[in-house]
Amino acid sequence: MLSMVSGEVDAFTAPSLREELLAVDIQEDMLVELNLSEVSYMDSTGLGVIVAFYKNVTANKGRLVLVGLSQRLQRLFDITGLSGVIHIEKEGAVNDHERI
Amino acid sequence: MSESFVEILTEWDIVEARQLGRNEAKRIGFGAVDQARITTAISELARNIYLYADKGRILIETIDMSGTKGIKIVAQDEGPGIEDIRLVMQDGYSTSQGLGAGLPGVRRLMDEFDIQTTVNEGTIVRIIKWLR
Amino acid sequence: MTNEIKKQYTMLLGQYLQYQTERNLYLGQNFSRRLVQKDITPEEVISIHKDSLAEIYEGSEEFTDGMKNALDFLTEFMIQYGLALREHKILLKNQEEMDHELELAANVQKTMLKTTIPTIDGLSIGSISVPARKMNGDYIYYQGDSKRFVGVGVADVVGKGIPAALCMSMVKNGLDTLGQPSISPSYAMDVLNRIVEKTDNMFISMFYGRYDVVQSTFTYCSAGHEPALLYRAKDGKFIELESEGLLLGVLPDVHNQERSVQLAKGDMVIIMTDGVTECRVDDRFLEKSELTDLIFKHKDKIPQQLAEAIFHEIEKLSQFQNLADDLTFVVLKKEDD
Repeated sequence: MLSMVSGEVDAFTAPSLREELLAVDIQEDMLVELNLSEVSYMDSTGLGVIVAFYKNVTANKGRLVLVGLSQRLQRLFDITGLSGVIHIEKEGAVNDHERI
Repeated sequence: MSESFVEILTEWDIVEARQLGRNEAKRIGFGAVDQARITTAISELARNIYLYADKGRILIETIDMSGTKGIKIVAQDEGPGIEDIRLVMQDGYSTSQGLGAGLPGVRRLMDEFDIQTTVNEGTIVRIIKWLR
Repeated sequence: MTNEIKKQYTMLLGQYLQYQTERNLYLGQNFSRRLVQKDITPEEVISIHKDSLAEIYEGSEEFTDGMKNALDFLTEFMIQYGLALREHKILLKNQEEMDHELELAANVQKTMLKTTIPTIDGLSIGSISVPARKMNGDYIYYQGDSKRFVGVGVADVVGKGIPAALCMSMVKNGLDTLGQPSISPSYAMDVLNRIVEKTDNMFISMFYGRYDVVQSTFTYCSAGHEPALLYRAKDGKFIELESEGLLLGVLPDVHNQERSVQLAKGDMVIIMTDGVTECRVDDRFLEKSELTDLIFKHKDKIPQQLAEAIFHEIEKLSQFQNLADDLTFVVLKKEDD
């Protein structure tokens, strides 16, 4: 499953992203790829939505991959220690990634 | 006492219900503004039926209570019902979408308002406006 | 009552139709204020207008059927408008009430989370924490009452506003239960993580540090928190206190590493939340180098004044725009040799 997130993800827009991600029906072994290359800005509310989604995907035995992180976003995931937990594809590898 | 009803199946039935209500209101002797208010209330109720309940009807009757004349409208549907009546009757709810939106406005336009609803069975709204 | 209004309106309208003066317009507008007070709806106003015209033009052909029909149309049109307007008024009133309740809640939060800066020989502490909205999702926690150790925690709930603020008492209770200032920062983080993980989708970034007066060491652990800065007085340079901890609440069993640094006289540890780094200057974010320059500029102030000065500088840089996020800044300075 592929999904594209775009624009600013902040306290005002995060709830609608949460709704959309909640609607995703996660099945076992499903690979969910979230493309964040069009995200111009993400604050901690947006980060919380992504982490909650990660927890939901893993709880349902699926796998989550984040792709297309900007430098600033990558730093956010590094500082919060999330890049050690959530699988993040570095730029360039995105195209070779086997899509399901 | 006269009584008539309109089945609400299509959007044009809303118009028909409005027409019926306006004629009746005029006949009873309501002024232009009150006619418009009564029609708007009917319109809101009929729209609720059309949008959310698939099927229902609007019943319009003239009433007379110890000399005071009035118009009574009953909107009845077999729709999904409303789970939290207090919520939809709350002022400010009209701005939201969904079944029940507009009910606070209907109550404001009329003199009396009563609602009975059962989830998965349907909703009955009764409204009255008295001729003063 | 409506008759009285109709009479007055007819008079005012008649006067204006005769003499189109500013005075007559002014009188009309004053009258409209009274209609608003009396809760006369827009559709009623139009109806009154129509009746007045009919009266004024009685017997003449000037008020045509076309004009009458148009006013009837407008009456119908304005019913929805009037309803929306009322709704709007009510929502505004609701909001006022809610604002007031929030104000009270914010005060309760302040009382509940109250923590005092400990005093200990050889170390001075200063801090500032400013919420972006009414309630603060940042939190500073101190562990004192010891001659040897001081504990400082800075927590930032992921997200903003009321849910974030409510979450804070959890952090305080957790740390209170742990008890003494001598507690190991990584142990404190591990326990807190287990508490936070049990809640539904609440995540907290936290920095916890412990200063040992005897050894002059600062031991710290970061759970996904913005790196703290260490200022070395000897060479006037800043170092980021690196740490690879994970946000609290993501995984159930996490062990976060702790590290130690030795402090010398004049050295400072500066702990902050991302409200500082997320602060917008023009169209970009505040650079780390700008921040360190600011700290350097005010480095000789006592920590409390330094923290306040930095906040004012940031306020100025962002041209006093509303804060994007809760902003917290804590300064620890070693004063003795």
